[in-house]
This record gives sequence, C-alpha cells and structure tokens, in this order.
Amino acid sequence: MLTYSIRRILGMIPLLIIISIIVFGLAKMMPGDALTGQIDPTKATPEYLAEMREKLGFNDPIPVQYWNWVQGLIKGDFGQSFIHKLPVSEMIAQRLPNTLLLAVVSLVITYTCSFMMGIYAGRYPNTLGDRSIISLNYVAYAVPSFVASIIAIYVFAIKLGWVPISGSVSIGVEDTSLMYVLSKLKHTILPALVLGLFNTAAYTQFLRNDIIDSTRKDYVRTAMAKGTNASAIYNRHILRNSLIPIVTFFGFDIAGLLGGAVVVETIFVYPGMGSLFINSISNRDYSVVMAVTLLLALMTLLGNLIADLLYGVIDPRIRLS
Amino acid sequence: MLPVHPQRSTSPWRLAFAEFRKNKLAITSVIFLFFVTALCILAPWLTSWDPVKINIRFINKGPSAEHWLGTDKGGRDIVARLLYGGRTTLWICFSISLIVTSLGTLVGSIAGYFGGRVDSWLMRFTDLVLIFPFLVFVIVLKAIFPDTGISIFIIVVSILGWGGTARLVRSKILAEKENEYVLAAVSIGCKPSIIIMKHLLPNVITTIIVQAILIVAGMITVETGLSYLGFGVPANIPSWGNMMSDAISPEVIKNQWWVWLPSGILITATILAINFLGEGMKDAFNTKK
Repeated sequence: MLTYSIRRILGMIPLLIIISIIVFGLAKMMPGDALTGQIDPTKATPEYLAEMREKLGFNDPIPVQYWNWVQGLIKGDFGQSFIHKLPVSEMIAQRLPNTLLLAVVSLVITYTCSFMMGIYAGRYPNTLGDRSIISLNYVAYAVPSFVASIIAIYVFAIKLGWVPISGSVSIGVEDTSLMYVLSKLKHTILPALVLGLFNTAAYTQFLRNDIIDSTRKDYVRTAMAKGTNASAIYNRHILRNSLIPIVTFFGFDIAGLLGGAVVVETIFVYPGMGSLFINSISNRDYSVVMAVTLLLALMTLLGNLIADLLYGVIDPRIRLS
Repeated sequence: MLPVHPQRSTSPWRLAFAEFRKNKLAITSVIFLFFVTALCILAPWLTSWDPVKINIRFINKGPSAEHWLGTDKGGRDIVARLLYGGRTTLWICFSISLIVTSLGTLVGSIAGYFGGRVDSWLMRFTDLVLIFPFLVFVIVLKAIFPDTGISIFIIVVSILGWGGTARLVRSKILAEKENEYVLAAVSIGCKPSIIIMKHLLPNVITTIIVQAILIVAGMITVETGLSYLGFGVPANIPSWGNMMSDAISPEVIKNQWWVWLPSGILITATILAINFLGEGMKDAFNTKK
C-alpha cells in the first residue's frame, strides 16, 4: 500500500506543474496584473503601466516570471487583492473554513438521506414507498442547483421562515458561544442540502439497485437458509458490500462539491471560496481569481488522489496494476 | 399462388425500436421534447411580443390576459422570452453535445484502437482536461474573452467538456477490438481509419448516442447555471438561464414568482425528459439482457 501511495503521489507532480503553467498562462492573458495584483486594470494610462511593468519585473523573460511566481506560491504568497488591499492568502484563510463546513454538512446530509432512502427502497422494491423515492430522486437528479436553490429559498426561508435567506452567521453573535455554532449551522443547512441534492439522488439510486442485486446472491440465500433475521441480513451482510463502491466515490465528490459551491454560495451569499471567486471575477480582481482557480484545481487533484488511494485500500488488485 | 415474401431478419435497430416503444415514460418524454422544440422553433409565429426590446409600460407586471405569465423588469413578455430563450438554450446544448461527442469519439477511438504509447499520451491529456474544475475554468475563460456571443461560449464549453466521452469510447473500443472480425479486417489489409470507421464505431455507436443525449441534459444545466450567474450567454440574447438571472435577489424570489418559476420548471422538465429518453434508449439497445 505504501509503495502504491507514493507512486500515486509522485504521479501527481507532472499534473501539478502543468496546472500551474496553465494558470500562469491564463493569468498572463488577463488584463492588468493577475499574479500579484499590483497593476490596476481600470487605471491603464501608458506611463503608469510602463512604470509598474518595470517595477514588477514584467520585462523579465517569461520563465523567470513563472519561477518567481512559483517561489512566492511555495512561501504562501498568493499576491495582493486589488479591490480589498489585502493579501490574497488572508482572504482565502477567511473563506476556506466556510466552504469546508458547507462541504462537510452537505456530505453528512447526502449520506444520511441517501442511506435511509436507498436502504428502504432496496429492501421493499416496487412498493409505494420505493416508487415515491425513485420519483423524488429522478427530479432531484434533474433539477439544476440554481433552480433548487431558488425554490429552497422561496419555500424554507421566505414562506416558512425556518432558516435565514443568506450569509453564514447572524450579525452580532459572539464568536465563541454555542449560539454562534447554532447560527452557523442554521445558515449552512439549506445551501448544504441543495449542494448535496445531486449526489443524494445518485447514491440512493445506486444503493437501491445494489441492494436489490445482492438479495439474489448466494451468500444472502445462505444467510436466509440459516435463519438469520431479515434486518441483520440487510443491515449487516448486504449493506457492508454496498458500502465499498460508495466509499470510493468520496474523492470525486470533493471535486463536485467545489464546483457546485461556486453556484450555490453565490445564490445564498455564503462567504466561501465559490462566492469569493464569482465576486472577484465581477470586480476584475484577477489576482484573487487566479489564486482561487489554482486552489480549486489543486483540491480537485487532491480529491482524485483520495479516490485512487481509497480504491487501493479497498481493492488490492488495483495496487498491483 | 400466393407471392412468397423473403423472410427478412430484424435488424438491431428495429429490435431496439420495438423495445423502446414499450417504454411509456420514454415515449412521453419524446413527445414532450418534440413539443417543446416545435414551440421554440415556431416562436415568431406563436407570439407577437418582442423578447428583447424593453417596454417601459409593462415593467414587472404579474400574469394577465395580455401577458400570460407576466413580464420581467424590462417589461418583456415571459412567454415570448421562454420560447425564444428555448431556441438559444436548445441550440447551444445541441451544438455542444455534437462537438463534445465528435471530439471525444475521435480521441477515444484513436487511443483505444492504437493502444500503447498513443493511448497513454492521449489518455494523459484527457485526464488533464478532466482534472480542471469545469465551471471554474469556463468562467475564467469567459473573463478572458468577454461578451463575445454564443459561439465562444460553445467553443469554450466544448474544449473543456470532451474528456468523459473520450474515456467512455476508449473503454468500449478496447473491448470491441478484441473481436475476431477486427483481426480479420487487419489481416486483409484494411487501413486503421477504415477499421475504426466501418467496423468498430458502428458497434459502439449506441453507447455514444446515449452518452450524447445525456450530455445535452448536462449542458442545459451548465448553460442555464452559467447564464444565471452572468457568465454564459450574453445578457442581450434571451436564454432560459438568462431569464432567471433577476432571481438572484431575494426580493424578486419573494414577490415575482413568474420571473423564475416558469423557466425553472421548464428547464427541469426538459432535463428530466432527456434523461428518461437516454435511459430508455440505453435499455432498448441493451437487448442482450
């Protein structure tokens, strides 16, 4: 397992380098200075530009510029936000915990809901309950996240008033109190639910079909013949086998959640990485855009690595090939 | 004497069609999609309202006899915008699906057929395309090439979107090329291009068609989502996503349901119907079961 892990991690390095080169190239194509955020793209008089270009080393050869940029990244220097006059790393440090919280709550909701629905539907196929679950999941699978967000806001935040419309914490709540934690959760639950909708539908569908398939297998028949009670068969024997593929999806979920966060966070005005990205694009704050893009690409890469490693843990054959 | 009809064997397509016809959900979906597409294409004859021109007299009006689903903040009729918007959205998603499927099939079949170093390089390239967070990179590219119309949008999304199809086609070709008819074709001296086009692709085309249909559904999500956020179709061209972009403010969500609900339902229903169609075709082609 160790050699396999090391091989996978080493295999990531060329991808990392290529991603950094592409992000660097895109940043160079953007107006202003997307790498350090020192040139204001809205204030482009020729003298100002020429002076800043000289000062920031833009007249150096491109590889030298790239190298300087990478060196900064390794030291944690993501440049400066033009609009907020803050180091980008500081802005990301503020936002990242929110997005992680959103992703974690979303995963918890996904796993809880899909397990309950999937296990029920798999155990009682073609009943009314199963059919309702399937129909619900077809819709949940089809509805785009922004439509789901709007409907969720309308129903749960506006009509029922159960949760706040936007933000991540109520104003004036103290940082350390229990109220703070509760307020945070209350703000997170609706966007997390919407964010996890697609995965929930996919998992429920998968679990249901897998459980139905397993019911016909020999080991289940043996267990039944020995008089094991049905709940034990379903909850222990079958579920354990169905869990294996789901665990391996986890890594890919990270990528999906980050992409989805861009849309959902913007609609719920939730201060995470996704809304930071959209706001920075709208404000032409390109240094932030490039830093967030790089970070999201890295996290996707990390998600894929986790998926690969989990796969290796579960299926030893993968490690050898 | 009765005329003798030669007995024709049923082709796989005919078998699949017979199977498909039994699937009520899929047939309903086809009818629904046909209906929606026809309405959108016939938009100029179905409504006299202009979907683009601002009309100050009717700003933010609720549904009435004149405007069945009300008007938006520019006083434009929602029904007209739904019809014309559908043209844009469906056209974009259909084009993207076509390009993505062609690119994916090209890369996937070359990688799968030749194998070895060609395969390893092409698949590494595919992995690279797949690793980029899709929405994020579309938005970044849209920021670099701002407001340049529909075609740039189609190209950007297509360039970033073909990875999944390539992988799928490659795996199918890999399995298919082990068959003896491929060996026979090679042994009589067929060129690789002929083998891929004439022998391999027809045997995996059903998988590709189903995938292409499901991509159309996926692209509707992408187009409407991005246009809703303001990074898709330029704001002056009506599309299903653009129509909902006003519903980013809670005030509009709260007080003007007719701005977001009709297009939201139409988008979801269309995606649902395409998914049912795709699933139905997958089942119909899979007659071996």
